[in-house]
Amino acid sequence: MNIKKYKQIRALVAFFISVTVSISVVQDSYLLAVAGVLTGMLFLILVRSKTKIVVDEREKTVREKAAQMTYAIFAPTIGLGSFVLTMFARGEFYYLESLGMVFTYLTLFIIALYSISYHFLNKKYGGNGDEE
Amino acid sequence: MKNKIKIHRAIHNLTQEQLATKIGISRQTVIAIESDKYLPSLGLAFKIAHLFKVKIEDIFLYEEIKN
Repeated sequence: MNIKKYKQIRALVAFFISVTVSISVVQDSYLLAVAGVLTGMLFLILVRSKTKIVVDEREKTVREKAAQMTYAIFAPTIGLGSFVLTMFARGEFYYLESLGMVFTYLTLFIIALYSISYHFLNKKYGGNGDEE
Repeated sequence: MKNKIKIHRAIHNLTQEQLATKIGISRQTVIAIESDKYLPSLGLAFKIAHLFKVKIEDIFLYEEIKN
């Protein structure tokens, strides 16, 4: 199966899931929604395993750049958001203050994760700089 | 950097899809390389040159940027 057919099937499955979830919302039956989503996911996993998806170096470059851009936008945004929430909601809006704390830890987690993965990859690709 | 992949592909009577399959990349990547939107890695450049049985510099032409 090629990627084009896989994308078509994926669109169909997404349509099926959205219809099932809509019906379950109308009928107030969460079981139907869970069953629909799980069936769709399982079907997609099966189809994906049968599909030949080529991940070449251009695709990897695109992913690298997308990840880099996501980090560059997400980390400062969430960091600033956490600062604003913890500073301006302090002692008055407890819910927002808690949300600010969650954002703060999330920011720290993302920065730590980036630093660890950067250090690991830098070492892997010979960026120690100790040898002459 | 310019390249002559399109010419060599025509000489060897290969479609973009066939070339992509032969060197293990996607057709989109072949299109991107041919239209100078993506610069292939050294490994991939060698692979392409090896497939067409020519030297790497016969396919990829380095152009110095003039200020």
